[in-house]
Amino acid sequence: MRLTVNGRVHELDPAPAVTLLELLRDRLSLTGTKLVCDRGECGACTVQLDGEIVYSCLTLAAACEGADVLTVEGLATDGKEPSLAPLQRAFIAKDAAQCGFCTPGQLIAANALLARNANPTDDEIRAGMSGNLCRCGTYPKILEAIRAVAAGEFELKPEARKPEAGAARGS
Amino acid sequence: MARKSKTSAKPGGFVSTTVEIEGRTETRIVEMPAFEPAAWDDKAELGIVGARVPRMDAPERVTGRARYTADITRPGMLHAVILRSTIPRGTIRTIDLTRAAKMPGVFDVMGPGDTPAGTRLFAREISYAGQPIAAVCAENERAAQNAADAIAVEYDTLPFVVTFEQAAAKDAPKARAKGNMMENAPLVMNRGDIESGLKAADIIVRREYRTPVQLHTALEPHGAAAEWDGDRVTVWESTQGIFRTRENVAKALGVPLSKVRVIKDYMGGGFGAKNGAGPHTYVAAVFAKRVGRAVRCLNDREAEQTDSGNRPSSVQRVTIGAKKDGTLTAIFASIDVPLGISGWEGGPGQIYHEMYACPNVRTEETFAYVNVSGMAAFRGPGYVEGAFGLEGAMNALATELKLDPLALRKKNFTKREPRQGRPYSGNNLLACYKEGAEAFGWSSEDRSPKSENRIRIGRGLAAQVWPTGGGPPAYALVRMNSDATIDVLAGTQDLGTGARTVLSQLAAESLGAKLSDVRAIIGDTESLPYTGNSWGSMTTASVGPAVRMAAEDARSQLFEAAAAMLDAKPGDLESRDSRIVVRDTDRSMTFADVTKKLGNVMIIGKGSRGPNPADTAIMTFGVQFAEVEVDIETGVVRVLRIVAAHDAGRIINPTLAESQLEGGIIQGLGYAMFEERVLDHSLGIVMNSTMHDYKIPTMADIPRIDAFFVGGADPVANHTGARGIAEPPVIPTAPAIAAAVANAIGVEISEIPLTPWRVLAALEKKR
Ligand code: FES
Ligand code: FES
Repeated sequence: MRLTVNGRVHELDPAPAVTLLELLRDRLSLTGTKLVCDRGECGACTVQLDGEIVYSCLTLAAACEGADVLTVEGLATDGKEPSLAPLQRAFIAKDAAQCGFCTPGQLIAANALLARNANPTDDEIRAGMSGNLCRCGTYPKILEAIRAVAAGEFELKPEARKPEAGAARGS
Repeated sequence: MARKSKTSAKPGGFVSTTVEIEGRTETRIVEMPAFEPAAWDDKAELGIVGARVPRMDAPERVTGRARYTADITRPGMLHAVILRSTIPRGTIRTIDLTRAAKMPGVFDVMGPGDTPAGTRLFAREISYAGQPIAAVCAENERAAQNAADAIAVEYDTLPFVVTFEQAAAKDAPKARAKGNMMENAPLVMNRGDIESGLKAADIIVRREYRTPVQLHTALEPHGAAAEWDGDRVTVWESTQGIFRTRENVAKALGVPLSKVRVIKDYMGGGFGAKNGAGPHTYVAAVFAKRVGRAVRCLNDREAEQTDSGNRPSSVQRVTIGAKKDGTLTAIFASIDVPLGISGWEGGPGQIYHEMYACPNVRTEETFAYVNVSGMAAFRGPGYVEGAFGLEGAMNALATELKLDPLALRKKNFTKREPRQGRPYSGNNLLACYKEGAEAFGWSSEDRSPKSENRIRIGRGLAAQVWPTGGGPPAYALVRMNSDATIDVLAGTQDLGTGARTVLSQLAAESLGAKLSDVRAIIGDTESLPYTGNSWGSMTTASVGPAVRMAAEDARSQLFEAAAAMLDAKPGDLESRDSRIVVRDTDRSMTFADVTKKLGNVMIIGKGSRGPNPADTAIMTFGVQFAEVEVDIETGVVRVLRIVAAHDAGRIINPTLAESQLEGGIIQGLGYAMFEERVLDHSLGIVMNSTMHDYKIPTMADIPRIDAFFVGGADPVANHTGARGIAEPPVIPTAPAIAAAVANAIGVEISEIPLTPWRVLAALEKKR
């Protein structure tokens, strides 16, 4: 089957029971996406599948035929030069990662949230991000970071964040 | 303000000093450092230390490049899975490993009889549900799990105990062969005389407080990867202590320390549960040896939530005596703690003795062993539980005396550490009370706005103390490369605390170097000098001074070299931004000019952590204020606002330190509101081992948090002026929230978590 991951096209043949998370981590060595609960409860494994967020621990790889996947490793492809995305810069500036284990999932969830709603209210951010757990308690900083990106402080260009835009780079 | 040490030992000589770890005091013989940098007091002109520098390893963490133990792969690496008992007590009658061994992809299986010498793995006697009984090593985790599932086990079950009451009952089944009570129970700590203290009281308040079992729930599970090279083993471990893990592995496997290397780069949280090697480590290392391939063994979430430590529950029966004006005359607490099958006396008692000036204090703590997985240190162990009892009782006393709870705290403020009468290295608790109250808008009267609606607003507060001096031994090296980049080498760990950043800031400041030229290299026992575990809020105060000294040592060597090149005396040189200037002249050269001339002649500065000041208490203090709303029809509590004011001496990086405060508060909020491990008492197993059933806070639960620091440098504590901060903020959150709820509904609640049904039950009592 064909799968586009962060703009790169892969020809893969996953066994029927393999999850998208296993495929990303074990087969493609994209270990940024984390496994925490393995049952759709924590959001650490969040990736974008054709723009929509999914828990990759609950997504069968074989069901993703032809799809576009965006993981944390694919966020930092701003235009031609690899550089950090506004969300990543905001997370650094606002100190939104302590241990960082939840961070890849948080970033992707935030990326999808802003793609859906470029100007979310605080309550919309809280609701949109409440599927991503963080034990270090970085929530106030994540909220600030998303708010700042939405306000344009880190030059958000939503169209540059969509997987299709990344796909252009791989072809 | 130079530190005084008990003896006038010369550099290189040895002295004895005391170090407080998680409330326990240890005496250590330590070498006097070769020299003692002058302490940075509040007048010290510092540019990098104290600056809001972004976390230096954040780029790795936001790009997915950071490699955690769970991400380690090695060529040919295999995966191990541990099979765990499903019963709390009994013996394994039969266990059949043969089917598992023949499953596809399986390389090796271990069970009872294969116990690696030096470990207690795979015992036939079962003493808690979740105890490792066998392990499988296979080409991937799935194959290993399938094989583990195919192992057939039959048990002979025995009666068991899972609660304190069951353990304490006459003729109770024995959780441990030696008995259910920890030796020398109860643990008594006493000063003065409770009886006369209570006699002198105008009012006596008696309450009983209950706290739940809290699970660490670090997102990265416990895990290790191990690989042998001849008789040497390398272990990648998600740990708060690489050297302690090395010691554990060497001892368990009978290998010399020099042949064990422990590496930990990035880590997904620890919170006290990851202080050494565990079954997963031994399983990985033993399989790796037997099979001759690298082996990784990670806890799955269920193992993580059921057998990797917890904050034990407590029942605290508290009696407080006071004068009419609030002056405390006696504090007494009798405390029961079921530890699980193993544990230590990290009990609630300590804080009762340390928080307030009170001549008569007595605690009696009884620790019981029960047939449940053992406890482990959890951020502020003992003090978090104890604060819920002590601060709850203080708030109850204030209500009964019709006193402002803040005024009651101020009244009983202690100028000296009350147990031994030692002076504090620094104590700005009164300033915390003042600035916290101002920020919150605390008023002594009318705290609960009158309301006839179903939504009631309430406000409350609680205070905190925690020993945070850190101490020796800790060593560091600062090395200048030929391009003037600087490596800071220390065998410490960054749990997500910011240690890499803080240590780099200290080195850059001391050297007069650009921060961007400095890199902290940590987390490898083979190439880095010893430091202790990152526990007890100790890393900054322990390793920081060693790094500063190493950097000062490197700077004096650099100045020696530069003096000749600049035709000046070393004493006339100054450095800033990686440039050396001859004072009052325009002669200067960059660090790179010097190191280039030196070529590979290396400047290596060496530093060590000196002893703590003699007879001095080094503590971090704070107070937190909470505002909540309670729906009296549904019992649902919403925390609206937390204000936190803490004094931790010099803050090396305010941004990172505030993140620590917020993180602690949020864990405290979870403890107050919904975190509680639930046991099935008839089966002896954990009922809520998933992250859905064991609730930790989400972003939707977070109130407005205003957390800040009060006071300045503490040059008596150590020459960097910093004390620890990681644990203090989790201590007062739950009692502050409970006080606010009591204020809102007009009835005390003495048990957490504050679930709706518990709030409704309290309201019912009032009617
Ligand atoms: S690992 Fe997929 S949701 Fe937790
Ligand atoms: S930063 Fe540690 S879990 Fe979120």
